[in-house]
Amino acid sequence: MDFGFSETQRDVQQLARKILGEQVSAETLAQYDEFAAERFDRGLWQQLADAGLLGVAIDQAHGGMGLGFFELALLVEEAGRVVAPLPLIPHAVSAALAIQQFGSEAQRAALLPGAADGSLQLSAALAETNNDNPARPSAVQAVVDGAGYRLNGIKTCVPYARGATAILASAAAPEGTIAVLIDPVAAGVRFSDVSYTTYEPLVEMALDEVMIDADAVLAGPEQGAAVMQWTAERTTAALCAHQLGVTDVAMRMTASYTAEREQFGVPVATFQAVGHRAANCFIDVECLRLNSYQAVSLLDAGNDATTEVQIAKVWAGDVGHRVSYAAQHLHGGTGIDRDYPLWRFCLWARHNEVMLGGSARQLSALGERIAAGEAYCR
Amino acid sequence: MRIEFTPEQTALRDELRDYFGALMTDALRVECTRDMGEGGGPLWREALQQMGRDGWIGVGWPTEQGGRGLSPIEQFIFIEEVMRAGYPFPFLTTESVGPMLAEHGNDWQREELVPKILRGELLISIGYSEPGAGTDLASLKTSAVKDGDDWVINGQKMWTSLAHFCHYTWLAARTDPDAPKKHKGISMFLVPNSDPGWSCTPVNTLGGVRTNATFYDNIRVPDRNRVGELHGGWKLITSQLNRERLGLVNVGPTSVLFNRVVDWAAATQVDQGRLLDQPWVQLNLARVRSGIEALKLICYKQAWAMTEGQLDMADASAAKVYGSEFFIEVYRLLGEVLGQASLVKGDSEAGAVLGGQLERLYRTASIITFGGGTNEIQRDIISAAGLWMPRASR
Repeated sequence: MDFGFSETQRDVQQLARKILGEQVSAETLAQYDEFAAERFDRGLWQQLADAGLLGVAIDQAHGGMGLGFFELALLVEEAGRVVAPLPLIPHAVSAALAIQQFGSEAQRAALLPGAADGSLQLSAALAETNNDNPARPSAVQAVVDGAGYRLNGIKTCVPYARGATAILASAAAPEGTIAVLIDPVAAGVRFSDVSYTTYEPLVEMALDEVMIDADAVLAGPEQGAAVMQWTAERTTAALCAHQLGVTDVAMRMTASYTAEREQFGVPVATFQAVGHRAANCFIDVECLRLNSYQAVSLLDAGNDATTEVQIAKVWAGDVGHRVSYAAQHLHGGTGIDRDYPLWRFCLWARHNEVMLGGSARQLSALGERIAAGEAYCR
Repeated sequence: MRIEFTPEQTALRDELRDYFGALMTDALRVECTRDMGEGGGPLWREALQQMGRDGWIGVGWPTEQGGRGLSPIEQFIFIEEVMRAGYPFPFLTTESVGPMLAEHGNDWQREELVPKILRGELLISIGYSEPGAGTDLASLKTSAVKDGDDWVINGQKMWTSLAHFCHYTWLAARTDPDAPKKHKGISMFLVPNSDPGWSCTPVNTLGGVRTNATFYDNIRVPDRNRVGELHGGWKLITSQLNRERLGLVNVGPTSVLFNRVVDWAAATQVDQGRLLDQPWVQLNLARVRSGIEALKLICYKQAWAMTEGQLDMADASAAKVYGSEFFIEVYRLLGEVLGQASLVKGDSEAGAVLGGQLERLYRTASIITFGGGTNEIQRDIISAAGLWMPRASR
């Protein structure tokens, strides 16, 4: 039992905090508000790549640092602390980890070195309308065509799709779920902009008779569902880590603000009602922290962590919601003023809460596991 | 970061689970249920002395003081297993006051009393609160006045739990009424509950648990019954309370209860199959399961931090607040699953489920949201120590 960070983990965390802290501020983020510019800081992206962080979990053989999922999650948490304008989770978690774990040698050689050095960007299409389980796709169908597949259907809320070299997606083939890498400029791929609450560039991706050659198939029907489940669990754990960064900062911003803001001649933080609501946030964030780290640490060790990931996401949803509104409320009008930095954190808290299933969906899935005898307390 | 037991920790847990499995005979279980999970009966005493002989008392004490020298995380595993087993272990004596005596006691306390504690032969109740001193404990009025080499003690204490079968009360008394700060004039004493000036009346609580009001009428004790420095009692009280909190919120019993309710719901048939397959049942169980996971991690992190010597004050208070409020939620959510059966008492002629455990638990649940340092004070500590927010002066 060890709740401490290793020296390497501390180094990764501090390096990420330094770079992100220097490069991202309320002023730099303001340029992306209302879609004024694409929410992607390419200079920062390159800086993270040059520092080795973009490839922190990519094998050294493919140009990465060769560290684990825990170190990658620490980077994601730091990105959450500044709500960094980067496609970090779809690129480094959803796509790169899945390619590294399940890809052919040719796929890994073609995509991972560029993913680590920042010369290419990856994405993942994990959502369909009314279906956030990528292991059981229903809106995109695949039929066998030669050595590959032909895809038809629609994925939604695909992040940073236009600039991606490859987009990881699942499709329902007659024999089961398959996982493929879609080339965004292939014939039959069409994007419509999704105007999203965080100003992230998302698209709806329509696939019309899109050919997937054999070399772009990540997993066939015998393994596809497991591959997408594997990917979804890591992506979910990463969303929890991001939420941890977002809520921790929103909470501390609130503590500082109420310590300085005076009413009736005293700091409002000295009112017990204010202090206690902030204390509730502290407890909440601690619960999110511990559950997120547990899920990430179990996944990092290659253990089964389905229950722990579901539980972490319940906390990410509930804590994100509660801390976001407590932070806004305790700030008074300042919390909703767009000249003060809090509001963007509230948008991201909501995104992290909802993506890949909110608390009700997670609780329902966990309840099914309990009923199947798979989630007893040990 | 590695949030799993080491093989040694797993082995200790398994050893303890086997040990307590054998210790908790059916007869002992019945006696403990009768005594509302407080202990004090003959079989309970016998089992305690057995544990003393087997070296399972004072597990966290240094070996030179006769303990096992286990780290806080191993102590936590011990506490979790003993609580899972359902044995009302006298933590206040063995893990809380005992170590204080071993560390700060005089020769008599260390040589006479401490070995008896380790043998399971000496029990100590705690005398802090008074009718007018609860959360503001430092305003306590019970007095100890020096008379020759003795001290004469007068006053009243409230919520002196277990006192009716303990040998001594660990008593906080005012020794310097003129101290400029009221918490600087307090000293600690061991008062024999057998003294003619000592009396006790039961206070029966909502949960069915008996506690006591205790009265101290001109009790004369020699100076050797004083513990630690004169007027230095506050330090002992606060460090005792910190130790106590580790045992207050523990995930063991709730984990067992959750598993039992899952099994019960799996075995219970309703119209369309198992009760466990009802969506609303699964939802409640999932909520409890998520909360238990957080409690487990909070407790383990606290034990780990103590082992590393870096227990954070805000984290300790967060554990107490979260755990105590979560238990209330657990009993509600699991009670809903059982339905009206959750309100049937264990000794009912008909209709009881799971030994009536939930009927009793929901009535006892409120105790630790205020006991062991009320949650308002804990939240004050969290916002100040954890978030650096300024506090109003009191």
